[in-house]
Amino acid sequence: MLISGKGVLRPTRRDLLAGGAALAGSGLLPGMVRAQPAEGGTVKVGLLVPLSGIYSRFGQLMRMGAELGIKHVNEQGGVPSLGGAKLELRLFDAGDSTEKAKNAAQRMVADNPDLVACSGAYLSSFTLSATEVTERAELPMLTLSYSDLITTRGFRYVFQTSAKAGDQAKEALPILLDLAQRAAGKRPETVAILTDNTASSLSFVQPIRENAAKFGLRIVMDETFTPPLSDATQLIQKVRSARPDVMVMPITVISDVKLLIEKMNEFGLGRGRVPTIGNGIAMAQSDLLQNIRPAQMEGFITVVGNWDAKGQEAIIEEFKRVSGEPWMGQNSIATYGDIWIMRDALEKAGRADRRAVAEALRTIDITGGAALYYPGRRVKFDATGLRETAGPVVVQWQNNRPVTVYPGDSATAEIFWLKR
Amino acid sequence: MFRALSRARMILPVVAFCAAYAVLAMFVTNSYHQLTLTLVAVWAIFGLSWNLLSGMTGLISFGHAAFFGLGAYTVALLFAKLGLTPWFGIPVATVLGGLAGLLIGLPTFRLRGHYFALAMLAYPLALLNIFLWLGHQEVSLPLIRERGWAYMQFTDQRVYILLVVGLLLASMISMRVVERSRYGLALTAIKQNEAAAEAVGIDTRRLKLITITASGAVAGMIGGFHAVILLVVTPEAVFGMLISAQALTVAMFGGVGTVWGPVLGALVLIPLGETLHARFGAVLPGVQGVVFGVAIVAVILLAPEGLYWKVADLLRNRRKTGAAAPLAAGALPSAAAMPCGGRQPARTPLGPDAPVILQAEGVSRAFGGVKAVQEVSFSVRQGEILGIIGPNGAGKTTLFNLLNGFVRPDAGRVLLDGRDVTGLPPNRLCRLGVGRTFQVVRPFARMSVADNVMSGARAADGIEEARARARAAMQRVGLGGLMDVRAGTLSNLNLRLMELARALAGRPRLLLLDETFAGLGGPEVEKLLGVIRGIAAEGVTVVIIEHTLHAMVRLVDRFVVLDHGAVLAEGLPEEVTGNPAVIEAYLGSKWSARAGD
Repeated sequence: MLISGKGVLRPTRRDLLAGGAALAGSGLLPGMVRAQPAEGGTVKVGLLVPLSGIYSRFGQLMRMGAELGIKHVNEQGGVPSLGGAKLELRLFDAGDSTEKAKNAAQRMVADNPDLVACSGAYLSSFTLSATEVTERAELPMLTLSYSDLITTRGFRYVFQTSAKAGDQAKEALPILLDLAQRAAGKRPETVAILTDNTASSLSFVQPIRENAAKFGLRIVMDETFTPPLSDATQLIQKVRSARPDVMVMPITVISDVKLLIEKMNEFGLGRGRVPTIGNGIAMAQSDLLQNIRPAQMEGFITVVGNWDAKGQEAIIEEFKRVSGEPWMGQNSIATYGDIWIMRDALEKAGRADRRAVAEALRTIDITGGAALYYPGRRVKFDATGLRETAGPVVVQWQNNRPVTVYPGDSATAEIFWLKR
Repeated sequence: MFRALSRARMILPVVAFCAAYAVLAMFVTNSYHQLTLTLVAVWAIFGLSWNLLSGMTGLISFGHAAFFGLGAYTVALLFAKLGLTPWFGIPVATVLGGLAGLLIGLPTFRLRGHYFALAMLAYPLALLNIFLWLGHQEVSLPLIRERGWAYMQFTDQRVYILLVVGLLLASMISMRVVERSRYGLALTAIKQNEAAAEAVGIDTRRLKLITITASGAVAGMIGGFHAVILLVVTPEAVFGMLISAQALTVAMFGGVGTVWGPVLGALVLIPLGETLHARFGAVLPGVQGVVFGVAIVAVILLAPEGLYWKVADLLRNRRKTGAAAPLAAGALPSAAAMPCGGRQPARTPLGPDAPVILQAEGVSRAFGGVKAVQEVSFSVRQGEILGIIGPNGAGKTTLFNLLNGFVRPDAGRVLLDGRDVTGLPPNRLCRLGVGRTFQVVRPFARMSVADNVMSGARAADGIEEARARARAAMQRVGLGGLMDVRAGTLSNLNLRLMELARALAGRPRLLLLDETFAGLGGPEVEKLLGVIRGIAAEGVTVVIIEHTLHAMVRLVDRFVVLDHGAVLAEGLPEEVTGNPAVIEAYLGSKWSARAGD
């Protein structure tokens, strides 16, 4: 561990790896040793995420969340309506391509006819191809992937827990303007757009470009670049001369986050002096701590699908302890919650059968239990499989860590917006 | 190729293989294994498509994902946006893949070698970004619950296996037919030496365009089918680097240049990759990539030409030792033992009124500031043996390239039979009866002498005719006894003779020989002299380049001496060798002074 300038424990990469390994060990071994006492005693659920390749870090975070979820469910009595049956997690590696993800899904359903539900597959395109398989196998799949396509294909066995990308983008702007007004007492009038040209970033800025005028915003700068950046000086120079009231900056590559944010600090635009809003977890993932001094991140805002929220403190503390991660974040918390949804659906279904679980998911409507782990605090899926109250979560860096500032019932802090 | 295979022997093994594959697959009930079996055939066909272009012509493509991805997107977009079934989409994908091949080939074939390979790399990378930009990050093929078969959607995955094995069978048979056809013959000639292929009358540009079109069509077809399997098409999944690499990997692992190579490669690698992924993916994430990589490296080290060739070699060796090696006992009858020296038809002396066959008029060519050939004029009469000599760097090879169309002259004209042929491409000149050998012999080591020679037989008149010509040419140079020997085992002399036979297989009236004696010892030179004299005696006009004089003096009727790109002297051998200017050019002024004494 390193002690950073402010006396905060900052784990090194090695600590994180050791933590991960320790967790993997502790999570896996009991499962193997237990070795299925009786057939009715355990119910198998699957996690299909990238465990190898360039997305494996995210898959590992989801795995840690799922393993903690399994542990908590089992400690708290398993599934009572199934005689206290315990959940058992089966892992499947979605790899680094849609083809591998689909093959892994096929393997999952072919070799494990007794799975009752699964969660995955991190990247939207992986989820799309994996659900093609699970749909045909009638295996319910929970996902935090954002893609609009996931629940618009007429599928009956996929359940999307976060807001769709299109909706997130549309809803984020008015939410942020309201937050700004409340915090600073004045609505922003000018906006700058600085985005990379990846698909998710472009789809996030699209409605802002279209609707800015409707919200009384003037676009004073609009720049698109191709990642990775080699130098951010020119871009930030433009921001400085444009002096926007607010900047929208969805960045997906961590090295670009580092370059842009360090340059903004250098130019005196950091720490909320130009309130800056990103999209996705690149601006809030714990890997950032290894790349940038967290003090420089102060004030930056990002819009995500799920985050550490009020009421989850005990779980987050335990997660931090076993995983060595500095916070839980979207991937871990959502997957943790997915295990609880599976448990609640099993409880409702009263049978360890994938079709019964799917039917229970279609009709479930709870505001307690698993609902605690999702923004909107309600688990109810509409006819397409989209969770009804799913909406964007706004996260802001405060005191060297990203904290939830919206929605209100999840927020652990007030948004910080400089008065001009 | 030279040894004709019956239709049955050509096609039966392929049919048997595909039938066995399909029948065995019908007994597989695990849907994951069914998927793997489908993918094996998908990647085998993609490897075959790559093999058609790169394996057969030697033009390495790092960008076959361009065709594959276009096919996949064609099927996906037609289905998702217009509701058109893949039954229709896949044929469209095939056509578009072919068109893309043609469009990509047109500019890219201006490049050669590594430059071609690298340029090909750019197309899928560009297309990937274009499809991102067009907003097709994820195209999902709709799920059809009723009458799925009309949209190529089947609940029983074995139907996919049957479909793809059908495609595999069609691909393998057509490639097998191509491999053994005149067209395949011409492709091998291109792989061997593109310039030489031009020189034996193959329109290489046209042929390469046809090939990349066919290859693109196959890749587009299987890309389209893969979209049906994948169901979600993303730019990375179909245009990605790994897709292009997949084609190379299966082909190179299995064996390049044969129909069985990519099939064998896919048959081993795809299930291996999947098994490793299944076994280790969730336990030791990432280790599957290491094992897979090590396996490939090991095979490349142990069987650098691929599994197929390694197995073929092993079988050949076993057969050889088993059959008490009659060839070894016969001690590879070298050309020396052939009666070429004895059968020495007397040349009829050249009459003074023999017509001029080739004439150069003030031909010049400069490369930048270097005037390689300046104002060279001379003529060659029918039936003559003309030697063009000169010290190294005198411009001899450039002059040759000007004469047979590889290089266009800056000024001057070249006349063949009195007709202006300046700037005609080599393949056209070849059809007019000009043959040529090259200074550097690049044979196909794996192919038999006969097949090597046959690649020179002008492929325009049918495969049987080509065989007859090749046989005649080999007998003319005395390689008749070595027809089935692999070219890789030939001596330097026999390689030269093979090169000569290859030029002769094109039935030239005028033969341009480029430094044929280079690297040969005394007795070998004698044999070669005899062969060339024999060729001339049959009425073929010979123009030969050399920088060594001693053999030439006994061969040629007349010399043209070049120095610094210009004609220094011209005349009978005895005149030229006594000419002080020539001696000075070769040996320096000291020797010319002594010769003058």
